[in-house]
Amino acid sequence: MKFDNETIDVLIGGYMSRDAAHDDYEAVRQSGGYLHGAVVVSKDVDGALAVEQTDHMVREGAAGLGAIGFAVGLFAPPLLAATAVGAAMGAGAGKLLHHRTENRLGEQAGETIPLGGAGLIVAYPHSAAGKVEPAIKRAVKKVIGEAEGHHVQALKSALSDAQQKMRADSS
Amino acid sequence: MLVLIDDAGFGNPSTFGGPINTPNYTRMADGGLRYNRFHVTALCSPTRAALLTGRNNHAVGFGSVGEFSTGFPGYTAVLPRDCAPLPRILRDTGYSTAAFGKWHLTPDSQQGPAGPFDRWPNGWGFDYFYGFLGGDSGQWDPCLAENQKVIGTPSTFGDAENPYYLPDDMGDKTIEWLHAIRAQDAQKPFFVYFSTGCSHAPHHVSQAWAQKYRGRFDQGWDRLREETFARQKTLGVIPAETELTPRDNAFPAWDSLPDRLKDYYARQMEVYAGFSENADHNVGRVIDAIDELGELDNTLVIWIWGDNGASLEGTITGSFNELTMQNGIPLTDEMQLQLAERYGGIDAWGGQLMMPHYSAAWAWAGNTPFKWGKQVASHLGGTRDPMVVHWPQRVRDRGGLRSQFTHVIDVGPTILDIAGIPQPTHVDGIAQKPMHGSSFADSLVDPATPEHHTQQYFETIGNRSMYKDGWWLAMRTQRIPWVLTPEVLKDFAPGKWDPDADPAELYYLPDDFSQAKDVAAQHPDKVAELKNLFWEEASKYQVLPLMATLSTFFGMVPPLPEVSRYEFRGDVQNVLSGMVPRIYNHSYTITADLLVPPGGAEGVIVAEADHLGGFSLFVQDGTLTHTYSMMGVFVYRQEADIVLPEGEVTVRMEFSADGPKPATGGEVTLFINNEIVGKGRMDHTVPIRFSAYAGMDIGRDNGGVVDRSYEDKKPFPFTGTVHKVVFDIKPHLSDDENELHATSQHGQTAHAITA
Repeated sequence: MKFDNETIDVLIGGYMSRDAAHDDYEAVRQSGGYLHGAVVVSKDVDGALAVEQTDHMVREGAAGLGAIGFAVGLFAPPLLAATAVGAAMGAGAGKLLHHRTENRLGEQAGETIPLGGAGLIVAYPHSAAGKVEPAIKRAVKKVIGEAEGHHVQALKSALSDAQQKMRADSS
Repeated sequence: MLVLIDDAGFGNPSTFGGPINTPNYTRMADGGLRYNRFHVTALCSPTRAALLTGRNNHAVGFGSVGEFSTGFPGYTAVLPRDCAPLPRILRDTGYSTAAFGKWHLTPDSQQGPAGPFDRWPNGWGFDYFYGFLGGDSGQWDPCLAENQKVIGTPSTFGDAENPYYLPDDMGDKTIEWLHAIRAQDAQKPFFVYFSTGCSHAPHHVSQAWAQKYRGRFDQGWDRLREETFARQKTLGVIPAETELTPRDNAFPAWDSLPDRLKDYYARQMEVYAGFSENADHNVGRVIDAIDELGELDNTLVIWIWGDNGASLEGTITGSFNELTMQNGIPLTDEMQLQLAERYGGIDAWGGQLMMPHYSAAWAWAGNTPFKWGKQVASHLGGTRDPMVVHWPQRVRDRGGLRSQFTHVIDVGPTILDIAGIPQPTHVDGIAQKPMHGSSFADSLVDPATPEHHTQQYFETIGNRSMYKDGWWLAMRTQRIPWVLTPEVLKDFAPGKWDPDADPAELYYLPDDFSQAKDVAAQHPDKVAELKNLFWEEASKYQVLPLMATLSTFFGMVPPLPEVSRYEFRGDVQNVLSGMVPRIYNHSYTITADLLVPPGGAEGVIVAEADHLGGFSLFVQDGTLTHTYSMMGVFVYRQEADIVLPEGEVTVRMEFSADGPKPATGGEVTLFINNEIVGKGRMDHTVPIRFSAYAGMDIGRDNGGVVDRSYEDKKPFPFTGTVHKVVFDIKPHLSDDENELHATSQHGQTAHAITA
């Protein structure tokens, strides 16, 4: 995979149940499209967090994405729960690519994911969009960010783009 | 024995060709008579009022339901004293009388220990009552009343291996009552009113019953209608020439649904079917007990399968929580499925963690072969239900079919006729209005007896019809029954809505059992005649003012409440859901004075309802916590950052609303002894009502719990002392206050007409 001047898409999906996020997580893994990474984070109504992520995500993180970080605590008052879930997951997205994902994600998601909600983040080259995006069937809130450039910068920018779209849709 | 099933349709029970196995209903029908032209009103309380008084529902104050009481005489929800009901007459003439299950005839605001009790079941003439006062109830965790006391949720609710289940309990209590009567007096006649919460939402039943229907509805509602229709013809419960009415565009074709959602939809009907069969089972147990006493041959059993047609109130999507629709939360079917998954998945649909309602399209299929359903008084889907009459000692034509036009107001006069009891002219010194129904007793012994009930009006929320000598004028307001948005309602405002301009349909039922052939265009004179007759009847029976939907939507609201502060001492429990302080859409505070013993305390300080809508202020692991469930869709929790101190302690939860508007967001602040100890935000709050039935408790969380983190300790009683809990509902000024009040009334009304 060439890292110069590539276009990266980041899809953020919001869900009202862990099962639904997990279904889409499995679907993108089975889609045949190349993934830079995918992660699903859920919080049950008691507040317990659960995290699943692809090997890709760990590998990409270890390759030097540790500097990526995003603001937490989007306070968008959405009309629907789905939007809130998605917005909250947007806030947590950056941490998903941190090389110390597990601990940091837990801390971040604990603050941002609504009780009972779940989110899915998928990063993939734009050329894989035709396979990856149709696999997402259960998200009740979905945005896609896109950016071009060196791999790390493109990934960071695409995440930022997706977050902004999530925030805009939630206000 | 009078049995009434709730929210069910003509095409539900197998006894009438439906897909739901009802062996006991069939046993009664095969040993007695099926009535296939029996009619009800299109709504819960109105049918019950008509059934138990023998009079038209508006004439006894029940144009609408018990939750909705206005100053218009036909809509007070208060039984007039000049209309003594059937149980009172029977009790006064020597019968032991008892009612079990759903009541729904006591005004919402009178369901507490201060009464008054003359409109509770005992006041209607029942010696004994065991059941629930409202319009629906959880079957796992009901908040019950016994005679004149709300007794709450049975203690066995918490038994994981043998959980409490109301339908079983109703059967047990009825049999126990019958045995007690016979132990004292071997001859005294009895009158049992067995009124199931089934099959109203929430559709609660164990897996064992629901699993019997696994895969039985995978064909969808369109095909199910065709199958039911074919069986109805084979059974002969509908005439051979009957036509199956077409699907209205309000209901989607089954084939148009995404394949991935069909299991979700099919499961809804599987649970409903299992729930309904369980009701048949428990009625059967009571019948068996009467048989075992040796009295079945000489017991008149009248069993009506539905107080109105099957309910459309689940909207097209169905819901994991019946009150999401009533609270105006727009959720797609995918969202509903995901919320169901949050609380256990579709296999847990019907279990203790959800309060499900099925899709309106399943209800429509349950009303086969008719159009529409509950609330739609213009069409038979809302107004025609099965009735079976069983009386071996007198009925010779066992298994026979009766097709005389009959109506729910005929039941009372028929029972009195058979019992040989005249209608009283005076009760308690008050001259009585005569019953409006007519006895169909002679049809029990003579299949060819002429039709006595030749004329009847119907009206529910503006939907109306006029029946006379076989002709049926149908006038439906042009509103989808489950849509109550301001945009839709504005077209029905007084002065704007012209009832006579509503489309008029005309059917001749002797030739058209299902209302499939509208002949209005061929008979304009008949249409005009029946329109005029409706207005005459409406005037005579207090239907007027005729309103499409209800008066509160059009500026007619009760006076502003004068009380904004409510005090509850520490031992108050089971405050019914319609009587909790109305904190909705407001800023408010909850303040509690506590005594915390040395070593600390834990438990619930105050809790309303449960995890699918409610709030709880509690202490766990030394931490003061406030949990708020916005109908199980959003769940918010705020915690104190210090340990609750010992001694006399005052804690306070303060909600500062963003503004006086429905479902307002706002900021929560927790205080201990006036020091801020925690904060949080709630983006959305409940605009209308937390629960249809679950109550509020001080010092514990009875029934289903609000915060499931203390599920294993329920009811999680407070181990210190709760001196008192005070609700202060912050008043808003001038226009804001009036707007909020109107909004509150709209919400209550929306709840009421779907109860």
